[in-house]
Amino acid sequence: MRVSYDWLKTMIDIPEDPKTLSDEYIRTGTEVEAIDTVGESFDHVVTAKVLTKTPHPDSDHMYVCSVDVGDKNLDADGNPAPLQIVCGAQNFEAGDHIVTAMIGAVLPGDVKIKKSKLRGVVSMGMNCSARELGLGGDHSGIMILPEDTPCGMPFAEYVGSSDTVLDCEITPNRPDCLSMIGMARETGAIFDRDFHVELPAIKAETGRATDDELSVEIADEGLCDRYVARIVRNVKVGPSPDWMVKRLNALGVRPHNNIVDITNYVMMLTGQPLHAFDLDTFAERDGHRRVVVRAAQQDEKFTTLDGEERTLDAGMGLITDGERPVALAGVMGGMDSEIEDDTVDVMVESACFNAGRTSHTSRDLSLISDASIRFERQVDETGCVDVANVTCALIEEIAGGEVAPGYVDVFRAPKTIDSIKLRLARVHAICGADIEPDFIERSLTRLGCTVERDGEDFMVTPPSFRPDLPREIDLIEEVLRLWGMGRVTATIPAAKNHIGGLTREQKLTRKVGEILRACGLNETTTFGFAAPGDLEKIGMSTEGRGCPVVLMNPLVAEQTEMRRSLLPGLLQSVAYNEAHGTPNVHLYEVGSLFHGRENASLPKETKSVAGVLSGQWSEQSWSMKYRKLRFFFGKGIVEELLAQLRIEKVRFRPAEGEGYAFLQPGRAAEVLSGGTVLGWVGEIHPEAREAMGIDEVVVAFELDLDKLIKGARNQENYREFSQYPAVEHDLAIVVDNSVTCEDLERRITSAGGKLLEGVRLFDVYRDPVRVGVGKKSMAFALTYRSDDHTLTSEEVEKAHQKIVTKVCKGVNGEVRG
Amino acid sequence: MSLIDDLVKLEEEAKELVAGADDAAKLEAARVELLGRKGRITGLMRMMGKLAPEDRPVMGKRANEMRQLIEGMLDERTTEMKAAALKHALEHEAVDITLPGIRPQIGHQHLIKQIIEEAEDIFCGIGYTVESGPMVDTSYYNFTALNAPMDHPSRSARDTFYVVDNNPGSVAHPEAHAHGESDVLLRTQTSGVQIHTMESQKPPIYMICPGTVYRPDTADACHLPQFNQIEGLVVDEGITFGDLKGTLDYFVKCMFGEDRKTRYRPHFFPFTEPSCEVDVSCHVCGGKGCNFCKHSGWIEILGCGMVDPNVLINCGIDPEKYTGFAFGIGAERVAALRYDLPDLRTLMTGDMRFLNQF
Repeated sequence: MRVSYDWLKTMIDIPEDPKTLSDEYIRTGTEVEAIDTVGESFDHVVTAKVLTKTPHPDSDHMYVCSVDVGDKNLDADGNPAPLQIVCGAQNFEAGDHIVTAMIGAVLPGDVKIKKSKLRGVVSMGMNCSARELGLGGDHSGIMILPEDTPCGMPFAEYVGSSDTVLDCEITPNRPDCLSMIGMARETGAIFDRDFHVELPAIKAETGRATDDELSVEIADEGLCDRYVARIVRNVKVGPSPDWMVKRLNALGVRPHNNIVDITNYVMMLTGQPLHAFDLDTFAERDGHRRVVVRAAQQDEKFTTLDGEERTLDAGMGLITDGERPVALAGVMGGMDSEIEDDTVDVMVESACFNAGRTSHTSRDLSLISDASIRFERQVDETGCVDVANVTCALIEEIAGGEVAPGYVDVFRAPKTIDSIKLRLARVHAICGADIEPDFIERSLTRLGCTVERDGEDFMVTPPSFRPDLPREIDLIEEVLRLWGMGRVTATIPAAKNHIGGLTREQKLTRKVGEILRACGLNETTTFGFAAPGDLEKIGMSTEGRGCPVVLMNPLVAEQTEMRRSLLPGLLQSVAYNEAHGTPNVHLYEVGSLFHGRENASLPKETKSVAGVLSGQWSEQSWSMKYRKLRFFFGKGIVEELLAQLRIEKVRFRPAEGEGYAFLQPGRAAEVLSGGTVLGWVGEIHPEAREAMGIDEVVVAFELDLDKLIKGARNQENYREFSQYPAVEHDLAIVVDNSVTCEDLERRITSAGGKLLEGVRLFDVYRDPVRVGVGKKSMAFALTYRSDDHTLTSEEVEKAHQKIVTKVCKGVNGEVRG
Repeated sequence: MSLIDDLVKLEEEAKELVAGADDAAKLEAARVELLGRKGRITGLMRMMGKLAPEDRPVMGKRANEMRQLIEGMLDERTTEMKAAALKHALEHEAVDITLPGIRPQIGHQHLIKQIIEEAEDIFCGIGYTVESGPMVDTSYYNFTALNAPMDHPSRSARDTFYVVDNNPGSVAHPEAHAHGESDVLLRTQTSGVQIHTMESQKPPIYMICPGTVYRPDTADACHLPQFNQIEGLVVDEGITFGDLKGTLDYFVKCMFGEDRKTRYRPHFFPFTEPSCEVDVSCHVCGGKGCNFCKHSGWIEILGCGMVDPNVLINCGIDPEKYTGFAFGIGAERVAALRYDLPDLRTLMTGDMRFLNQF
């Protein structure tokens, strides 16, 4: 809502400085987005006179003019000099007084006036039409001013149009503030002052009564709570008076003609949207016309007055003349029934259309109008008749119309407004401030409420134009915002009987991130959306992941579903980095997955943690040789993560089969804790990488975070270290290539008995000559130690020999000498 | 020559011998030569038998003194040589300390997570819990229970992602929907977690809920279709608007700095009454007004208000006994303000150059 300072001043005493008013509006809940000075845009725009007009040498519709701009353009000697301006208008002659925008002017719509050449002829400015100056709809030619207009007068001074406008954002609960009267009342409540509005009254009623010529029928009661119609005959359509044009301009309403302008003016004044129809366009039968408010049929067509043919949905509201539609109820009038220059008789509509239905119509058609904005916030149904009368009075006064006696008023069910008990103690309890009873009474009264004292409490009846005040709490809000939120003393609640802090799950989730960062991975986030077939694209099985959660109204084709794995998004990030010259990528993400269910409305949501590694840890440096990040780097991170979380019975087994087709066979493992599959780690299959546009090897892992948290163990009690020294013994054993490290370690551990403290693989060696074809040498460092004595070499030898014998026998291996 | 003369001479020779030893082996040889079993001192001692008995104690004493003197010389020389050797070794090991250090590779936490954890820590510090709720939720929890009217514009498919309902009518609190909408949606706000929490817990409730929300806004520099909110809810006996102010003032000072001021502007939200928006004084101009704050001196950071009694009633909580406040802040907005992010899309690309900055 744009609030004109000059207009508001006629209704209420306000501070000189608009900034003061703006600050008070902001303090009390009306956001002021800008303080505009209307008229500023008329810098470098001056009154002028056409001295000569000659046809353009190279155009048959343009003229080269010499234009006198008084002392606004001076020659080298400081004498006034005319400007040469090329002009395409046809409606002027030499000697006409006009408006000229000189170089440097910026006209509405951010049109900058510069020195230019039009078909080879220099033009030093532009002769303006009313529309180019933002003053009205007349674009038929440049503005011609009266003969006695001086030359070179700043145009702002000439029209006296300088005004200050507060561009206010009105919250959706305040339909009353979408009007000048409403803003005057609000201002009065803020400053505790009266406001006054003088509304014109109809002077005479003549001719056939409105209800004799016209009947109104509301066929769909859900569309319209009240419909008031009144006829004005023999109007003279023409331009509006300057004062009205100025006010409409200030409020951002483009003037059309006096009839349309009056309906807009009264809407801006009162908040009640109005529509003026050309009565002759209504079908006439037996000297009688009808207005029928009905719901549109599905796919019914209607051309609104902006010239666009619209296809309607069933349920949208239409105003018809009983035969064909004339307006989209509450949103916009029709092309065929709008007021034209030759309109003689006018029907004024002052109605109260249903908020929800108007809102749906407006949204579904993407057609937002000043009327729809007001109806969807609910207009005051009690005001329809008065506003219709004010409108007709102005038409009578300005357009010389004859107001028909009476009006038609279809008003089905006036709403009752209950009075509300407002407890002083409750005000204090909610606000945390001892707001004085007098302030409460005064403020609510200023806002239009009827307030009666009831002991120390109040009985409050809100006005009909405040549908947002049905409850005590709503009144408390009004009191608090006017009293001042800034004045309330800040306190912090004690939170007695409440224990806060993170849960174990939340702490462990943080810990997972901390470990992965300590492992060198950067945390990232990717979109929760997924492209259809994103898993199939990389060969990831959808089994066990549920059906996709599908969006009904996706924004883009790549985001029509919700993700069922973090991997596709992370691979996209790898590709992104690769494409941006960052080959070394180490990322992890902790995020939600969505598993749709065939017969359930809501999906299952799980938490997942996944990582991707590509390239190497770092560029080569003087001190370190970095290796390419391959399978064992990923596996190591997973091992460290699970160890830090104290997850027990961790195993890795080859990830094989269709379920893991996205991983490179032989370089992929399923991660288990006991019998529970926690996830996988492995190198992404080259074909999957290719599908994602990635060149480099990518090692990735994805683990079920919920299972990790479930499997995590708490720290155990302290255990004593052995006080006795350890003895280390190496064991290099030559085995077939097919024997796994896990198998050997398990055999060593089980043969080692109590004395074997640790097993560490330190070398894997293959050599067809020294080790043998199809064989490998696995070298382990075995640590022996006792808790209660220093081991003798005999004890160690005995234990070691037992291991050697058992393991060699078990895997058909032999000790490498 | 008397033994005494020998001793005097020995002292001179010992000095020369020790001084001449320039490595550990020569010094050891000198020690053997002087103090060894077949060494010079021992040799002199052996000659003692030839002395008159009355001279022996004097001679013995002198010989012992000489032994101590030589031991002292040897020790001193050893220390000197060690110091020299160490000095040499240290000189040899000196490096160009301006060479880059060998840094462990530590990953960085995502900027938004940093802000969320910071907020969690601030509120846990004043006794709050951290709650969560589903991201695919129902229109009841996302809108209706939060007092949003059935025809509220935010419910439209322009402002909310709706999800194909695989079993229409089966959710708790099914509702009638316009064309293109359904009971199931991607939550557009974390406020629904207020309802989930109040349904599962009894007051006193002091909680925040950080979480991802979704809205059909095309991704550009200032918008993402997926972003993060930090919701807060307090429901207890005797909670006032003053408590809301004190809590949010505390939060703002923790999050943005102690010198920042707050401003409470009345506003409108369906689920709070009274409602307001909170501005924080502009960090660029300190509140004087600049381009960054559009010359107002203030930057809007969050929305809040006293929990609307209808919301409490929807959750079976008596609004006469309990009152509360709620607030919501955008994590991306905090990030953009604190770090002057020009384009929110960088938060989602996984660009290592970006992640390494924070």
